[in-house]
Amino acid sequence: MHDELTALAERLAAAGERPGAPCPDPVNAAMIRNWTQALGDPGDWSRCAPPAMIQVWSMQGLAAADAAGSVADGPLRLLNEHGYTGVVATNCEQTYDRYVRVGERLRSSMRFGGVAGPKKTAMGEGYFVTWYQSWYDAAGERVAEMLFRVLKFKPRARRAAPSAGGRYPLRPAIGPDTRFFWDGVDAGELRVQRCADCGTLRHPPGPMCPACHSVKRDFVVASGRGTVHSYVVHHHPPVPGRTPPYVVAVVELAEGVRIVGNVNGCDPADVTVGMPVRLVFERMDDELTLPQWVPADLPDPDPDPAPEPRADALAVPLTPTFVIATALATRDFTPVHHDTALARAQGSKDIFLNILTTMGLVQRCALAAAPGAALRSIAVRLGVPAYAGDTLTLTADRTGPDTLAVRGAVSLGDHVTATVHLTASGGPTDEEDAR
Amino acid sequence: MSGLSGKAAVAGIGATEFSKESGRSELRLAAEACLDALADAGLAPADVDGLVTFTADANSEIAVQRELGIPALRFFSRVDYGGGAACGTVAHAAMAVATGQADVVVCYRAFNERSGHRFGQASPSQRADSTGLEFSWHLPFGFATPAAWVAMHARRYMHEYGATSEDFGRVAVAMRAHAATNPRAWFHGRPITLEEHQASRWIVDPLHLLDCCQESDGAVAIVVTSAERARDLPHPPAVIRAAAQGTGPDQMMMFGYYTGDLAALPAMRTVGDALWRQSGLTPADVRTAILYDHFTPFVLIQLEELGFCGRGEAADFVRERGIGLAGALPLNPHGGQLGEAYIHGMNGIAEAVRQVRGTAANQVDGVEHVLVTAGTGVPTSGLVLGPA
Repeated sequence: MHDELTALAERLAAAGERPGAPCPDPVNAAMIRNWTQALGDPGDWSRCAPPAMIQVWSMQGLAAADAAGSVADGPLRLLNEHGYTGVVATNCEQTYDRYVRVGERLRSSMRFGGVAGPKKTAMGEGYFVTWYQSWYDAAGERVAEMLFRVLKFKPRARRAAPSAGGRYPLRPAIGPDTRFFWDGVDAGELRVQRCADCGTLRHPPGPMCPACHSVKRDFVVASGRGTVHSYVVHHHPPVPGRTPPYVVAVVELAEGVRIVGNVNGCDPADVTVGMPVRLVFERMDDELTLPQWVPADLPDPDPDPAPEPRADALAVPLTPTFVIATALATRDFTPVHHDTALARAQGSKDIFLNILTTMGLVQRCALAAAPGAALRSIAVRLGVPAYAGDTLTLTADRTGPDTLAVRGAVSLGDHVTATVHLTASGGPTDEEDAR
Repeated sequence: MSGLSGKAAVAGIGATEFSKESGRSELRLAAEACLDALADAGLAPADVDGLVTFTADANSEIAVQRELGIPALRFFSRVDYGGGAACGTVAHAAMAVATGQADVVVCYRAFNERSGHRFGQASPSQRADSTGLEFSWHLPFGFATPAAWVAMHARRYMHEYGATSEDFGRVAVAMRAHAATNPRAWFHGRPITLEEHQASRWIVDPLHLLDCCQESDGAVAIVVTSAERARDLPHPPAVIRAAAQGTGPDQMMMFGYYTGDLAALPAMRTVGDALWRQSGLTPADVRTAILYDHFTPFVLIQLEELGFCGRGEAADFVRERGIGLAGALPLNPHGGQLGEAYIHGMNGIAEAVRQVRGTAANQVDGVEHVLVTAGTGVPTSGLVLGPA
């Protein structure tokens, strides 16, 4: 496969740029207004289009399926056929030769870049596939170029098939005698039933105290400290919703009762009988949270108190409306950006931000940090998905006279890290105006 | 000795072939096994007035009655808690016979456990009845298979007593050695070595594949009648010297993790105490035993709970005294569920009857009384069978 892929990549790269196709619409005020409203961009884009919008002009919209395929289709298909079924975008780099003006008609063309691999990555073994897209004006002058790179990988552990609608399939039955426990989990508490008469603690709970036969019950909130009393590592058979190997343990709480849960956050081989663990809450889907365990000495990924957000940070609440409106304003109709059920069925937690919007938000953050500047280029490395329901917090730091480092973080980690090159003054717009 | 001891006997045993795909309905398997057992007993369906099966069985007593053309039933009963029911069915039958509620009771278990619904696969339960609520403290964590539930006990047993995976493996090796010379066994002619056990893949660490019993299609039936009537039937009766069911404190359906000792099986202690009390026998009086072997670690713990050795001594017992055909206490001479077939423990009762009759493929010398146990980790049951 490797040799076949290399030969195909060389052939495609040698073929150079495919003839350009006209963009569906001229650069127009209506699409720009949709875009700025959806992204919350405060800039004045009455004469020229936001540079980060460049790819929007060549998007085919809902007709995308009928449009000519990408130059990378051949290598991507070959990789798919050989088990590299996973795909994740890793890089998007846009260089702006000049800003484009309202009314201009653009053409767009693509050329294949290359493949690199196989590489061992966090996602699994894979190949990086790179291609380029360029935009030209009516005179045939290039106005922008974009590098796009994806990682095609062999998914490392076969994930159990997600259930319909992305709902975690292993759900507890809840009855009148156990509801308080699950209500507690939803409230971020591990509740242990206590007999309201004799004080005996009991887990799992029940309607009558086996010690004094009282039916009066309340509960204590567990400290969340415990030790592993026994544990197993599940390998086989496949369990819906779970990815083996995983650890199940009987945890003895500091309060003296025992409870079953998963031990997460460490290699199964590092779990031992007697190991101290502490409580965490794992959100399985929109409705179900489970009380779980991690090694007691595992650093808290969410330290408390949370660090104060920077005053100059741009916090973008990723409401479903935001995710969907921006996807559509960038003419991106891929269902994972607007159809929650379908996104979950494909293994995502929820719908998530599309890359064209990420580029636009990086632009917005950079221009807020350097008012009046013009953009020469944006080069982004993509990280974790920015899911609906999260908040994307963007910060910009000057790293040179004409460069900014932009970082966009969500609760899962960095969604984007970008380098933005600026023209401090007299940017492409002014040059155009001077002509 | 209790009022039940010696009152009833097993007069007939029957079975289908043991396979991975029977190719026929579970009801047909049940009917075939019952008819086979009645023929073995020298009785006809018209003689039957009682039927007992597992709560888990898919074939109702009246469905089996219809297929066999039994004119009327005076006694029918089911026993719950999975494989823990096995000896319980015979206990119920013996009580019915001893009290005159029935004259001839057939106990049966029939399933396509390999080609149909497999117990080894995860099966989420969402009912909010008492059993569903028990499962709800476990299933959401992917703690969803019998192997995993037993492995939790096994890990603690290893921790407390220093038992090793090889100690579990010696049980599997002995069972497969027995099956190798039992023509009825699925693994006839296919013994294993300890090295093969150790090299077999993880199912749920600390359990390897070869710690887990096979999955089978098939059916077994047992005919119980009064000891007196059994004397007039073709085979020497296997008299029920003791029959008991049992649970332990804070008993759950397979999840005895919350109070007490995970390295123990208190329900089997309850059953064992009752069996010795009813029969007036001691472990020293048993020449061979059929211990339920769905997973190897529980064979070790059963040896302790039943008094064949002290707490934590079973690994030494197996290594030093031996559970093979030449050992001090041959266990499961038919090869058990690890080697012969997994018919939810009912094939073990049939083997105990053959050992009492002296007709087993791997007949142990000098057998008088045979102890049989049912599924463990769940509420369980046991029998002591002996000659008339």
